[in-house]
Amino acid sequence: MTAAIATEGLTKRYGHRGPHPPGAGGVIEALTDLSIEVREGEVFGFLGPNGSGKTTMIRLLLGYLHPSAGRARVLGLDTEHDGLAVRSRVGYLPGGIALYDTMSGLDLLDYLCRLYRRPPARRAALADRLEMSAATLRRPVRDYSRGMRQKMGVIQALQHDPELAILDEPTEGLDPLMQRAFYDILAELKHEGRTVFFSSHILSEVERVCDRVAIIRHGRLVALQEIGQLLDSRKRHVEMRLSGPAPSLVDVPGVSGVHVTDGLVTCQLEGDVRPFLAAIEGAPIRDLTIEPAHLEEAFLEYYAEDLGLADASLARAAGRGA
Amino acid sequence: MDRVLFARTLQAQRTKLFIVAVALVIWGLLMPLIYSELIDTPLGAQFKQMIDSGLFPARFANFGGSNVFTLPGAIALGFIHPIFVAIVGVFAMGFTAAAVAGERQRGTLEVVLARPISRRTAYGSLLGATIVMLGLAILAMVAGTLASAAVFGKLDELDVGQVPLLWLNTVLLYLALGSVALAASVSFDRLAPALGITLGFTLVSYFLQILGSLWPDAEPLQPFSLFHYLDPAAILDGKGDPFDLVLLAVVTALAVAWALVVFPRRDLAAPS
Repeated sequence: MTAAIATEGLTKRYGHRGPHPPGAGGVIEALTDLSIEVREGEVFGFLGPNGSGKTTMIRLLLGYLHPSAGRARVLGLDTEHDGLAVRSRVGYLPGGIALYDTMSGLDLLDYLCRLYRRPPARRAALADRLEMSAATLRRPVRDYSRGMRQKMGVIQALQHDPELAILDEPTEGLDPLMQRAFYDILAELKHEGRTVFFSSHILSEVERVCDRVAIIRHGRLVALQEIGQLLDSRKRHVEMRLSGPAPSLVDVPGVSGVHVTDGLVTCQLEGDVRPFLAAIEGAPIRDLTIEPAHLEEAFLEYYAEDLGLADASLARAAGRGA
Repeated sequence: MDRVLFARTLQAQRTKLFIVAVALVIWGLLMPLIYSELIDTPLGAQFKQMIDSGLFPARFANFGGSNVFTLPGAIALGFIHPIFVAIVGVFAMGFTAAAVAGERQRGTLEVVLARPISRRTAYGSLLGATIVMLGLAILAMVAGTLASAAVFGKLDELDVGQVPLLWLNTVLLYLALGSVALAASVSFDRLAPALGITLGFTLVSYFLQILGSLWPDAEPLQPFSLFHYLDPAAILDGKGDPFDLVLLAVVTALAVAWALVVFPRRDLAAPS
């Protein structure tokens, strides 16, 4: 199967002219040696906080930026040499999209679709799902709220039924109901075999809609995994209230950080749950809570250093508090 | 050139183009009217006497080499007058300087360039629209001038066969300025520097030409001004210099070449 997106050692450096702050070099490296492969038909999350290099990556894929090193292929085409062919098969939603305010929504969608030379096959369905009525689309874009502009952004990116959708922070400005409608649209796209490359810093939505996720930090890839695998490898927090003596959890595979105080046992559980369940079998348990692992924890673990958290366990604690 | 982008650009500018065209028709109407007043009325005769008396230095009286007591001279004055320069300049330079840099700053260029349109094609569409708009705007001026000359019965004083050359030379001058503005526009991410360079280039160019026409010692500076290569009085007298057209075309070609090389190679970072 051809990869929808494949990058090899993709690097982007920006020259920095003028006086530099002490310790800073003359070049800013926004993306460093990034190699990822997005499979056809998957919803791929590209995760990182603001300034981590997500948008730089997207702009390299679409030919707005030229790579300093490495290469990228989209739908089997080289982004540097076949940019037009790439863009004819891709739908793109920029972060914080700007629209032509003087045009009506409908005229704008018509105009942007004509530039693709493709019919707006999905427009009606998208407008319906995102509650953009015909009357609304007839109004000038300048009258639209931020949420309506974002909906227009989604429609313009997907109306021509692209093979690959590249969406930069797509739910920004959408209310929870519209976010849900958007997730349904993504599910439909996935069902129809379309590929979605989805950049976000909203961890819960990535966890909810993506098949795989790449986490990027300071322009470098720090994790690339199936969402399920990533969550499985995270430590879950366990709380156990007892009416009698605590069972011994020492040397139980996957269990760490055991604390026992006044009938309350807390620990971290990683990987297969069965050894843990076997170890507590027969214990006088009044209540047992195993918190599901969340992407937040994985994310915060990778970003613990940036957040000033001393270690990963603190990051996990922060994640639980998030 | 992309047909859709070209048509959309013209559509977006149609109101401004209409206003400018109306202003230029009116301005064009004025020149034969003023000439007619100078020639056919006692007040005009008194004014001519005052000019002929040498009260004003000849350089001031014949501003831009035009003798306003002839119809070609009056029309020529209309084509080099600061009001005409301001109307056409603001329209042409305003549009071209903002065409790329302004859209980059607003973020709308993102959406267009996400489509299968190369930057060169996008540039070509904007340049094409600039040529059409300038052609129509200057045509409005020419039409107003000819209509006015006809109304006042002075058309026979004009070699109408030279008028298309005057139109072409004027279009080429503002196209050269517009191309420089467009080259600045594709070179910057923000409107202010593109507009600043365009405005600076145009004002210095105009200043050199005017300075040279009013002060003999500054005459050697005139060839450094693009405005020097539009001589409406000479064209209407049948003495137009083809070199003027060639030079303006070369400046346009250089600016276009710059844009075609620089624009596709530039990194277009996310709008801030």
